[in-house]
Amino acid sequence: MDVKETIFKSVFFAASILSAGITLFILGFMIVLALPILKQGLFFDMLTGPWAPDHGLFGLGPMIIGTICIALMALVISFPVSLGCSFFIGILNPRGLGKWLKKIIESMTAVPTVIYGFVGIFFLVPLVRELFLKGSGMCILSAAIMLSILISPTMILFFVQSFSMVPQNDLNAVDALGGNTAQKFFYVVLPHSWKGMLTGIILSFGRAMGDTLIALMISGNSVAFPGSVLDSARTLTAHIALIIAADFDSIEFKTIFLSSIFLYIMTSFGIIMSRFSFKKRKTINET
Amino acid sequence: MPMTENIKINIKNLWFYYNDHPILEDISLEIPQNTITAVTGPSGQGKSTFLMTLNRLWESIEETRIKGHIEIRFGSDFQNIYDKRYNVSDLRRQVGMVFQVPNPLPMSIYNNIAFPLKLKGENNKTLGSFRVEDALKRSFLWDEVKDRLNEDARALSGGQQQRLCIARALVLNPQVLLLDEPTSSLDDKSGRVIEDLLLELKKDCTMILVSHYLDQVKRIADSGMVLSDRQMKQQW
Repeated sequence: MDVKETIFKSVFFAASILSAGITLFILGFMIVLALPILKQGLFFDMLTGPWAPDHGLFGLGPMIIGTICIALMALVISFPVSLGCSFFIGILNPRGLGKWLKKIIESMTAVPTVIYGFVGIFFLVPLVRELFLKGSGMCILSAAIMLSILISPTMILFFVQSFSMVPQNDLNAVDALGGNTAQKFFYVVLPHSWKGMLTGIILSFGRAMGDTLIALMISGNSVAFPGSVLDSARTLTAHIALIIAADFDSIEFKTIFLSSIFLYIMTSFGIIMSRFSFKKRKTINET
Repeated sequence: MPMTENIKINIKNLWFYYNDHPILEDISLEIPQNTITAVTGPSGQGKSTFLMTLNRLWESIEETRIKGHIEIRFGSDFQNIYDKRYNVSDLRRQVGMVFQVPNPLPMSIYNNIAFPLKLKGENNKTLGSFRVEDALKRSFLWDEVKDRLNEDARALSGGQQQRLCIARALVLNPQVLLLDEPTSSLDDKSGRVIEDLLLELKKDCTMILVSHYLDQVKRIADSGMVLSDRQMKQQW
């Protein structure tokens, strides 16, 4: 092995250590900054309790519930739409139309979230208000619908990519045996592509949880525990943005580090779970 | 000229276009039943495309179109297979296809053979297992796999996989079998087994065999066609 190769290897190794290290460093950084709160032993109270700074209560419960509700609902709305859309692009593809549709969807990923926020405020929020005749229209439902549009390109592109990896030989086999499109999808496409689809779902969920602006602009940002999807709610990310805008040294401010830790743990947990399920499935297939 | 009642497939003025370029030009052909018709010719001349016009498999390929008539006699009457009212799944159950590279699906040997029955919606387990066994016997594979029907089909050898694919096509009792260079990915010995098998199948099926090997064609085909320069010419 010559010197050049050794140098290359160590440079790439250092780069991978660095990028992995940064993620861990960020977690450490947030834990250190949240230490004053963690030391008071109020960790679980803060994760579940209500937010009422005037009464000395700094619980993140409403924001955690708000985040999970909005992100999950966005996922539930987005999934069937994305599945149908990617099925159209990747499998049906009438007259090569899928290619063009895919280009449009790719360009959707470049739309800044503030645009979605605007559309939400001027179109969706009034619509939801008029339709349900309850509240201001700034609510979990509005934010979830808008977020579902934001995350659907990610989901669609991942789905289409997974569908395109299905071996043509297998597709030919089903076609030549007289299978219809739905049978082809369920018996060949899905078994081949569910792993890639799951990755797309998890990344989309992460994106829905991590997005700040849409929730900030149209979910209403109430700090109360939401009781229905038409209630106003605040997400953890919006909470961080709102506190940072108003404050820099108080208990309120310190809670945002706790918010970040929670977001961090939630997204990492999702990714680790998906890896775990892949492994399990693999061993089942091998036996 | 064969008698009309012996004709199985009747192709009249068939044109096939890819991107508006003709691939097949004004092909007319009558194929008698219970025969093997071989199609040879240089690579890339549309031999596979010709096979795909007979089970309409080309329809999923973009920017292609077809002109002309193809009729296949199922029972006593000729059926225009491009008739809008004619169901393409029904057609493909009667006109089976075996590809150049064996394409067993990622499932057990048994499930591979039973798969077409499942697609058709036939759920009778006893009858199903009888038909799977019959198809495997007809494709000379039963003795080699009868003790390991639940193993992954992809673990079989290349020749066995191809016979599995033939069995999978046979389980629906097709009247026509399209074979796209079925032995080209196999060694000589496995290839010979498949040749014997095709000769045996002649009593049930009308076969069209695309092949590169002239000696193979001479050994098993009843008539030979050459496809070159978009034209189909009868060789013998």
